[in-house]
Amino acid sequence: MSPIHPIDFSQPDIIARLQQCSVEELDALEFGVIGFDDQTIVRTYNAFEAKMAGLSAERVVGAALFNTVAQCMNNFMVAQRFEDAAEAGESLDAELDYVFTLRMRPSKVRLRLVAVPGAALRYVLVNRRL
Amino acid sequence: MSDSGLELSQEYEALVQFLYIAPVGLVQADLHGGIAMINPLSAQLLMPLSRDGNLTNLFSVLEGVVPDLQHLVQNFDAAYGMVCDGIRVPLGTVVQARSQPAMLSLTVLKLDEERLMAVLTDITRQVAQERLLRQNEAWLNAIMMGVTDYALARLDAEGRIDEWNPSIGRITGFEPADVVGQPISILYPEGSTTPERVHDRLREADQSGWSLDEGWQRKADGSRFWGSAMIVPLRAPPIGPPELDGFLATLPPFSQPASKSYSLVIRDITDKREASEAQRRIVSCDHLTGIANRRTFFEAGELEFTRGLRHARKLSLLMVDLDHFKSVNDRYGHAAGDAVLREFAGLLASCFREVDVVARIGGEEFAVLMPSTDEDQALLGAERLRLLVESQQVDIGDASIPYSISTGVATVASDSSELHSLMKRADTALYAAKSAGRNRTAVWKPA
Repeated sequence: MSPIHPIDFSQPDIIARLQQCSVEELDALEFGVIGFDDQTIVRTYNAFEAKMAGLSAERVVGAALFNTVAQCMNNFMVAQRFEDAAEAGESLDAELDYVFTLRMRPSKVRLRLVAVPGAALRYVLVNRRL
Repeated sequence: MSDSGLELSQEYEALVQFLYIAPVGLVQADLHGGIAMINPLSAQLLMPLSRDGNLTNLFSVLEGVVPDLQHLVQNFDAAYGMVCDGIRVPLGTVVQARSQPAMLSLTVLKLDEERLMAVLTDITRQVAQERLLRQNEAWLNAIMMGVTDYALARLDAEGRIDEWNPSIGRITGFEPADVVGQPISILYPEGSTTPERVHDRLREADQSGWSLDEGWQRKADGSRFWGSAMIVPLRAPPIGPPELDGFLATLPPFSQPASKSYSLVIRDITDKREASEAQRRIVSCDHLTGIANRRTFFEAGELEFTRGLRHARKLSLLMVDLDHFKSVNDRYGHAAGDAVLREFAGLLASCFREVDVVARIGGEEFAVLMPSTDEDQALLGAERLRLLVESQQVDIGDASIPYSISTGVATVASDSSELHSLMKRADTALYAAKSAGRNRTAVWKPA
């Protein structure tokens, strides 16, 4: 695993960088990356996220993000913002503190929600929060 | 990894996923509310309520909507049991967002001296459907009361009339400028209502789904009429399932209220006070015997439980069955059977107080709900009734029919907090009375 991370959680234009990454490169990141398509089906689920959640990518890729993988985000704080942005044809790039239920433990996380009109995937990025 | 190790880790992963996708919220916490385990649906429902953006303590997350939860848990003395069972938690104005649940159901179980388990479900849709049904019932009631006209107004959260409807003018003679923005007390004679009373009625409507009262009301010219006024809470209706669309279309043409609001229906029943009383009997009374029907019994029972829980009142229930009633029908015919039922209902009504609810809840099944009555008093009442029945016969033409009754008695104890369980106990006692040979009374005893 490379000690130098090519992508920083908070860097600008992150969506373009993520799209260029190979699966291996995404897996090397030290934050969670969940990429999903316009039908909210998960297409990318990196190793960091898989390890935190206790779920392998094989179980998650192809499933509906807000209904089966991450119900915890299926409210106006997260899912709705993606929906609203898509409806308005606008970009979304927002960070917020949130709580995940990783392996059923309440776990503080920092979320970054990113969407760009026309991009194949939208992303939820997940950073640990102390 | 060994084969069995691999199998175990796969099973673990499947189990974790099972919890991730569970469509109900599950939370395990300690007795101080500290959250130990929590599944995603809980986070979905609770995160919008969390003031500090964390899910550390269940009591503090729910503080804005269930302020007494900690109190309930602390005052729950038993080592194990249901602290609260499916209580409804209206989220109301706590969270104002599109597609956000409006009502949660919360169940809290005390597992032992260390742990609580909470179950959360989003019941917004069920509640919306119930509300529609209640409105439906209200309209039906208005029709059944034989009233030809009514005034309809929408009230805001404070009980002010916030939308004009021409029916208001038709019934009261007021103009839009007279009433819009005014409290509903403008429709009542001076001194007959107070802001507190209006407030109480709105709260009553929130809690029970409607508030109905009868009394004098005021027209624009100062004259009075005897009115029946019902207040029903409205909410910006969450999008109903398609099958309700047809019904939605029949609702009065209000614009969608932005926040909490109510509909007020006023009917002038000055000329119909007697008639409406007769109509009320049709709705609430058993057609054959004239005593309360099953529906009225359940409504009264639920109401008593709500009151009883608040004030820790004693409440007793008698479940009464006519013994061998089928053989009365077989031997003397159904008309004779009906005569026996009517005769018995008359005795039943005469034996108990005004405040007791005597009802026919099935073919030959009757019930008596006795507020503020302990077990001994209830048993005395049941025996008085049994002896009276035993001493009489029902005369039909040239035959006299003797009959008897069996009765089960149950009284609310602190561990029985539902009408349903009280009925079950009284039923068990009734069964015991029947098995012991009939024509007797039995009191429910814990097994």
